[in-house]
Amino acid sequence: MIDAYFIHLLILIGIYLILAISLQLSLGYSGLLNLGHIAFFGIGAYVSAILSLSGVPFLISILVAGIISGFFGWLLSLPTNRLKGDYLALTTLGFSFVVYAIFLNWVEITKGPFGLPGIPRPNIFGIDFSSNTSFLILVVIFVLISYFFIHRICNSQFGKALEATRDDELAAKSLGKHTLKLKSISLAVSAFFAGIAGCLFASYITFIDPSSFTFMSIIPILLIVIIGGLASLRGTILATIIIVLLPEPLRFIGLPSSILGPIRQIVFALMLILIIYFKPRGFFGKVDLE
Amino acid sequence: MTNVFLQLLINGIIAGAIYALVASGFSLIYSTNKFVHFAHGGIIALSAYFLFWLFSKLGLNFYLSALLTILFSSLLGYILNKIFYRPLRAKKSSSSVLLVASIAILILLESLVLLFFGADVKIINFIKNNQGIEFFGAIITPLQITIILVSVILFFALFVFMKKSKIGKAMRAVADNRDVAEIVGISSEKIYSWSFIIGSAIAGCAAILISLEQNITPTMGTNLMIKGFTGAIIGGITNVPGAILGSFLLGIVENFGIWFMPSGYKDAIAFILLFIFLLFRPQGILGIKNNQK
Repeated sequence: MIDAYFIHLLILIGIYLILAISLQLSLGYSGLLNLGHIAFFGIGAYVSAILSLSGVPFLISILVAGIISGFFGWLLSLPTNRLKGDYLALTTLGFSFVVYAIFLNWVEITKGPFGLPGIPRPNIFGIDFSSNTSFLILVVIFVLISYFFIHRICNSQFGKALEATRDDELAAKSLGKHTLKLKSISLAVSAFFAGIAGCLFASYITFIDPSSFTFMSIIPILLIVIIGGLASLRGTILATIIIVLLPEPLRFIGLPSSILGPIRQIVFALMLILIIYFKPRGFFGKVDLE
Repeated sequence: MTNVFLQLLINGIIAGAIYALVASGFSLIYSTNKFVHFAHGGIIALSAYFLFWLFSKLGLNFYLSALLTILFSSLLGYILNKIFYRPLRAKKSSSSVLLVASIAILILLESLVLLFFGADVKIINFIKNNQGIEFFGAIITPLQITIILVSVILFFALFVFMKKSKIGKAMRAVADNRDVAEIVGISSEKIYSWSFIIGSAIAGCAAILISLEQNITPTMGTNLMIKGFTGAIIGGITNVPGAILGSFLLGIVENFGIWFMPSGYKDAIAFILLFIFLLFRPQGILGIKNNQK
């Protein structure tokens, strides 16, 4: 019983971790105040759920989910590339509203508010991942792959160019960097991994509906990135563990879920306000939120 | 055909008046404070529930409840500025940090509403007889006429206030150039407070009119804020008349959009309009292009 609960938490930490480190790439390393990350997570979840439900093998559907999310990230970057700070934040936030509206209204494909039940657990080359323990192993593999890639990207020349663009776009441009292109790629890759996280989420919960992808869901992920510190992957790991575990004790007080939900949101919102006031760089942050 | 056209136009103007009520207060605060106060929508939601509590739960007279709601909303705006934004400003936080804080505050307010009032839809049952009037083949209710009239009067009063009153002039001075305004002895902190008080009072009026016309839900603030923000951007975010104009344009475009798309996609239409403006005219219709950040 305790073990099952523990495994559930570890799986959640894994999924959140992929989501948070992918947001680090666009928000932390590239300085894009991307508040629409949940939309990419949702697109990944819906694409993979629809594919899995029509019998497409898991590895193909997770890859397609990532690619389609990444494509939307790239698409979103085209008009928003030149926008700064506030404007970018609100456009990406607006994007997540539209995506939510589409999940809710495109009933033929998404079944609207009823959601998509019965999403199969993965089965890769005959190996069955339907038990939570085996699913945890799968999540760990994907976390390692995602972490490896994002770590490599951030420490490559490309990553350094992204950081230069974040710190001084004009200077980066004058050194011959295609800053717009760099930002587009960054957002696309970031969205790709959010899509992967979305696919894992959908196949773990086995049921998705639009309510999992409202804009409010960005708060815990934003909180993880800011607490961990912008442009710090190490901090992100620590922060993910803290943020996923933090509201868990509330579960044991025995509050009804109609009260538990708002209290969780209040805790997250207050934490976010306190952290940006008292410790705006989080644990290991290298830069300020601009 | 003409009937449909007129009906959609009327619906668009009603929606536009509601968005303009949101956008005008929001853009007033933006013009002086220079950051996106997203929690403005939260103030509207909380005020609507406050009105519901006074009128439907405590059974107070409606007009008294409405007056108290406006006082409540301006006080709420003042307090939010004092306890959240002012300390952040004192630490020289960037406008992005203030934006993130304002989103956190919006969620805080909405969660408080959920906690105290629950997730179910509330109705303020003040106007019992709301029969539509036929107007050249289109239908409009007396309440909707009231909404349009009240908002127009409110916008006119706001315009006169900004042009003629001492505080209004000081607000425009701070909006234009804070440092110069400080030099001639205008305290910018005081003006920030005043913008929150007046902007939030308009939010209170918006809350009253909206809660008579529509159901009140905990997430209404976010939905209104997206529309109000879009209207403000379209019209020119630092320019209050522009924000009002943009909101009416948004309302009309959205409602004509229903001719081509299912009504669930209203948000998508607003977003496409927002995109077009951000791409081709980011300063909005009436905004003046300037390069200051």
